[in-house]
Amino acid sequence: MFASVPSAVLFCAEGHLIHVEVQVSAGLPGFSLVGLPDLSIRESRDRARAAVLSSGLPWPKHKITVNLAPSGDRKAGSGLDLAIAIGVLAASDVIPSGSIEATAFIGELGLDGSLRPVNGVAPMVGAVGERDVVVPIASAIEAHVVALGRVRVVANLAELVDVLCGEAPWPDHDTAERPETGRRPSPDLADVQGQPIARHALEISAAGGHHTLFVGPPGAGKTMLASRLPGLLPSLDRDRALEVTMVHSASGIPLPPGGLVREPPFRAPHHTTSQIALVGGGSQNIRPGEVSIAHGGVLFMDELAEFAPSVLDGLRQPLESRLVHVYRTGIRAVLPADFLLVAAMNPCPCGGGAPGACLCGDAVLHRYARRVSGPLLDRFDLRVPVHRPAVDDLLVNEPGEASAIVAVRVRDARRLATERQGCLNSALGVDRLDHVAGLDTGSTALLRHELEHDRLSGRGYHRIRRVARTIADLRGHVEPTVDECDVAMALRFRATFARSEPTGRAA
Amino acid sequence: MIAPAAFVASLAGFDRMTTNRLSGLLAHRSPEQAFAVAAGACPAPEPFATLFARERELAADWKRSAARRPPDEVWRQCLDAGVEVVVAGDPSYPVALLDDPRRPPALFVRGDLGVLDGRRVGIVGTRNATQRGRETAARFGYELAQEGVVVVSGLAKGIDGAAHRGALAVDEARPVAVVGTGPDRPYPAQHAQLWERVATRGAVVSEWPPGTAPDAFRFPLRNRILAALVEVLVVVESRERGGSLITAREAAERGVEVFAVPGALQSRAALGTNKLLCDGAAPATETADILMALGLDRRRAGRRRHDPRALPGADDRRLIDACRSEPRTLEALALHSGGSLVDTAMAVARLEHGGWLRETTGWFEAVDDWADLA
Repeated sequence: MFASVPSAVLFCAEGHLIHVEVQVSAGLPGFSLVGLPDLSIRESRDRARAAVLSSGLPWPKHKITVNLAPSGDRKAGSGLDLAIAIGVLAASDVIPSGSIEATAFIGELGLDGSLRPVNGVAPMVGAVGERDVVVPIASAIEAHVVALGRVRVVANLAELVDVLCGEAPWPDHDTAERPETGRRPSPDLADVQGQPIARHALEISAAGGHHTLFVGPPGAGKTMLASRLPGLLPSLDRDRALEVTMVHSASGIPLPPGGLVREPPFRAPHHTTSQIALVGGGSQNIRPGEVSIAHGGVLFMDELAEFAPSVLDGLRQPLESRLVHVYRTGIRAVLPADFLLVAAMNPCPCGGGAPGACLCGDAVLHRYARRVSGPLLDRFDLRVPVHRPAVDDLLVNEPGEASAIVAVRVRDARRLATERQGCLNSALGVDRLDHVAGLDTGSTALLRHELEHDRLSGRGYHRIRRVARTIADLRGHVEPTVDECDVAMALRFRATFARSEPTGRAA
Repeated sequence: MIAPAAFVASLAGFDRMTTNRLSGLLAHRSPEQAFAVAAGACPAPEPFATLFARERELAADWKRSAARRPPDEVWRQCLDAGVEVVVAGDPSYPVALLDDPRRPPALFVRGDLGVLDGRRVGIVGTRNATQRGRETAARFGYELAQEGVVVVSGLAKGIDGAAHRGALAVDEARPVAVVGTGPDRPYPAQHAQLWERVATRGAVVSEWPPGTAPDAFRFPLRNRILAALVEVLVVVESRERGGSLITAREAAERGVEVFAVPGALQSRAALGTNKLLCDGAAPATETADILMALGLDRRRAGRRRHDPRALPGADDRRLIDACRSEPRTLEALALHSGGSLVDTAMAVARLEHGGWLRETTGWFEAVDDWADLA
């Protein structure tokens, strides 16, 4: 009178294999559930019982004990419903125990016995290994993407029991993987009129993986520009696409028709977002934050200075390690967070504009400048001044260069960089800069002057060299040196906030 | 024995004390008697009896203030801060203020008021100035100081500070600052050093006793003193409703000639000055204009300082000229020169290197040889 049914639970963005052990024994009718279940799993009992009964099957009038092994880990989520129901039915000999060997069951049950989808099927199916797996219809596509064994799809419990009892073949629900529909239509760079500097900055950002900050008055087109960055990035390779799919599946974000997220995601959290929502966490269910959902793609933070400073500080660690570590009592989770950060802010609260146009008082400016900490500003390789487009640019109906054309240059530049040094230019270590981004006399002179006049910090100096390397890559320059024109251009991407007095030091 | 000026110094710091009230208290009364009236130590004579009756809290406020500011302590505070108290009627009280309709009953001075015997030109303007504006102020300050003119300004951020810095660059200059805080309270804080240098070389003058904090209402009041002290007032840059326009109005009321530096029509920082020009202010385009108004020999004027910068080529000069009239973006400069973005970026990097251009959040402004003082 014992059955063990493999299933899985979601922990952060990972699936964990769980064995649902059920024993039905003599004693007063009752149901006890052990193995550190959370509230949603405790409620499984009622769902499983109702589903079994409404499928016309008997619920044993005995003592039922369910253990979720390994018993020491906390578990959460309603995906164990199906496994618990199957376990009870197998332990009470309604279905032959041989039929459930080497098959895992994932899904939530409705009171009418229907099988419902849950979040995180992709990582959970990944956790059951080479077993066959039974999943709800709506989850079939993402299960196919990761499954090593066969994926079985059923609509409800009755249908499944018929199959397991050998009374029917596996049903043939239409879940065929739909063909990839090519690139998702993302906003095109051709819509941006004028703005040559900002366009160039986007291209550099995409080619070198450089975090970018747009600084400019309202209406300059910062948001419009940033939303066009994903369209310049190459599609994700399969490994990266799988990682992204896992996180998206776990967060309940609708997956593309093919099941696999192949296009770089674009996330734009609002500035009222909490730190937990941004970097991930939570007390019981650890959920991936926006930085993990943007893994492999672009995280766009509009109005950067309006985010709470504590929220912004939470970004520093993921930016550094490209991972998020979440620690809670008895819980330790690691989430991927390799994203390209694009942010936008006004130069001052009134929006600013040309020198002398700002109406803000000193104290206000001072407070505003402090909202984004120095260490965070340091992470932006590109700080791009954006201006309102000139009237002529707006009226002229000539489309700008299309994303597709720019994307080709970006792809070639990325290939140059990875073939040369095995990583993008933004990840270049200081020790390797001299080997891959040597300076000629002209550029040395330029940088020396900036350093001598306190207009460039040590960190800023390395940043300029990395960006110059990307600019050189974009023009197909293969020599291990950068030219004066690359450095001169790179120097244009470090907007400072020193406004009226000359005492302000540049970064 | 407490000096009479000590009573005045104490009174000047009373809560809700105004120029009119202080003048009224000191009229026909010795400072000691005035203090007694204000402190409520004797029955209030007219018009103060009416005033106390009309403003209920005033008598109580003043009584508290008198307890908080015993004259001997205030006096020691002035001595410690190196502040001289000059009461109207003292021999060192500035002659220019004696007949003023709203003359300050007392002045608190660090430095030497005697410098006001020289020729005096006020240079004022917005705190949020452009690079160009600050350079102009510094240049006027320098060249006027070279002619032995006393540069009077307010030690505020922007134009004021630049004018003082320009003047101080001349060794024998003796600039005067009229400030809106206590003369021992540098404001803004980053001007503390500049403040010291003005006090050592010339004088820092205030209507308010030592320790007075920067309150918004004090600055327009300060402007009237500045306007009254100068023979010619130059407004370098001003917003549509700037404090320097108050100074200009005060100056015009007192028959002081007002100059304004013309600015680009698009420039917000020049809205006020251009309006002044429309209203009949004289345009100041070079120091000689101002010297002429003072009736000074202008032959030596315009003697430029040595400019150590290497001369740029013709193309580069066109870029500098484009940035001279108003701030430009890199895109605008590329359009202007007809070159590519990269060529223009190279050119501006060279010009920044050479000290000809300066960039702020993507805007380029031309730098002339006064930049180090501006």
